[in-house]
Amino acid sequence: MKGQNYANLTAIAGIVAGAFAIGGGLYARSIEPIFGIPQFFGLYSQYLSGVHVLVGLGIIMVIGGLLSFKWPSVGGIIVCTAAMIGLIYTYNRGQYRWTPYLYYWWGPWLFAWITGIFAGYAAYKNVPQSGEKLADARHAEGHSG
Amino acid sequence: MTEMLRNEGLKRVRMRLITAVIFVFTLTCSGSFGMEDVVSSSGPGMTLLMILILPLVWSVPMAFVASELGSMVPEAGGLYRWIRRGMGEYWSFQAGWWWTLSLYVDSAVYVALALDYMQNQWGFGGAERAAIGIGIVAVFTFINIRGLELTGWSLTIIQVGVMVPLLIFTVYGILKGTGSGFGPMLPEGESFLTSLNLGLAIMMWMYSGWESMSTLAGEIENPQKVIPKALMIGTPLVIATYFVTVWASIRIANLGGPDNYLNMWTGGGGEDFVELAKVVGGAFMGYLMLMSAILSNIGLYAGYLATGVRPQFQMSRDRLLPRFLGKTHKSWGTPWAAILLMAFVNAVLINFEFDALITIDVFLLMFPYVLIFLTVMIMRVREPNTPRSFRVPMPTWALGVWVAFPIAIAIIALFVNGMDWMIGGLAGILTGPIAYLIFKNIYKGTTDEALEGSTITPTGELTEFGAAVEGGQA
Repeated sequence: MKGQNYANLTAIAGIVAGAFAIGGGLYARSIEPIFGIPQFFGLYSQYLSGVHVLVGLGIIMVIGGLLSFKWPSVGGIIVCTAAMIGLIYTYNRGQYRWTPYLYYWWGPWLFAWITGIFAGYAAYKNVPQSGEKLADARHAEGHSG
Repeated sequence: MTEMLRNEGLKRVRMRLITAVIFVFTLTCSGSFGMEDVVSSSGPGMTLLMILILPLVWSVPMAFVASELGSMVPEAGGLYRWIRRGMGEYWSFQAGWWWTLSLYVDSAVYVALALDYMQNQWGFGGAERAAIGIGIVAVFTFINIRGLELTGWSLTIIQVGVMVPLLIFTVYGILKGTGSGFGPMLPEGESFLTSLNLGLAIMMWMYSGWESMSTLAGEIENPQKVIPKALMIGTPLVIATYFVTVWASIRIANLGGPDNYLNMWTGGGGEDFVELAKVVGGAFMGYLMLMSAILSNIGLYAGYLATGVRPQFQMSRDRLLPRFLGKTHKSWGTPWAAILLMAFVNAVLINFEFDALITIDVFLLMFPYVLIFLTVMIMRVREPNTPRSFRVPMPTWALGVWVAFPIAIAIIALFVNGMDWMIGGLAGILTGPIAYLIFKNIYKGTTDEALEGSTITPTGELTEFGAAVEGGQA
């Protein structure tokens, strides 16, 4: 498969990851408008509620996905980093681990990981590798690879 | 830095089989400290059963698979290079990254545990703790940079210090302990499955590390023969060590009553090996066992400092990590820059609370394990005729069935360690793609065709090329 095909898959996976996060955020809002303590590493703000973080990071993931059509490495880094921050936010919910919130991150995490995999394959195809020719022992007698 | 051949600068040493076995023993066992928690969680009978049964579906497959892959691709970086050959650059980077990240944290844990034992006994303050911790890191950093010969000697001395007290303890258990050691099978009120679940994660941890020795393949003469032999000898040795010492500890715990096993745990207030040793041998035996516990953790640190840095060294040589990590010491032929970096991170970590980082530890190791098992199957199918001086004695389909067990266990393990472990682990996993995308774009990587390495001939010898390039005299 060509590098651009992997870039397209990266973009699609990134957009799906973002859609999961946004959809999860909106669903959570329908249950509870704030959804959790609006706090992250000691910072308190209404924009740091569970709903805001899901939707906000979801939008960033969608943007990362869209960028991936042209720059899959950049898009992959954005999507994976956003998902990672979302997970760390989940971990940082006070004295206890806020399990209900983690459920909302399963979809975004999974598709962010897939985004990273496709972005990696795209990078493998697109980034010119150093191809210096060294004596290659893998051509030694008996090697069938 | 000028272009370097992948293994250029590394010096091979002649490692005796006994030293290789001690390496394997250190990386996979180093005493039985930590098993106490399994006994109280899963019950005495269940613990002893797990010690005997779990290896068949967890550690023995890994030992065999590591032997086959290590005898086929005996290169510095071990598992990283196997996976590169089987699954390509992307997945090998992922495995190498996750494995390295996990060991950065893991090795610091061993120093912290050794310090905990010391602090509990002698009650020194934070400054002394920091100084001793940094001292331990500094000593073993020097030993590791000095080379595998000195590391091997230091591990030999350490393991004598670990095992002599444990053997005396076992004799006490036989002579002075009571009960069969197998009863009760499960803690009261627990079912077979809940009991299994409680102890499984710890037991898996106790039985891991079989792939680690492979990372040193670039610095050992005839690694394709020495490492598999050491793994085959080390496997029953580790099982036997766990079994007899835990059995003895249960018999000694029974002196306090049939339910006293419930008090067996490590850390404050529990009846760990040290406390049980005091019961049968008095204060002197307690001191001996304390020294054993401290040395056990120090040995684990020394071993994992040695093995933990080699994949990142090789990744650097493959142009996937910063180039300074690929530097080797001119006289001693060791990857000194990678060792120093890991030691520095360890020295920092042990002086801070790093509980949150520990959560990524187990989770991140499981993914490389799955990739190793997949690699052996890919290599069997894709390169069936490539020489292997060790071959798992079963057809490919049977090997597939066998490795399906540890793969399933690894996946189950992801879900049984608790929610915080899972969150930390899932976040840690995402660092893999991010790191690859960053470093790949900066350093470019190297084509598969340009990779040279140590390959073996049909007669099981290292190729002349590999030996000529890497074969510095020890």
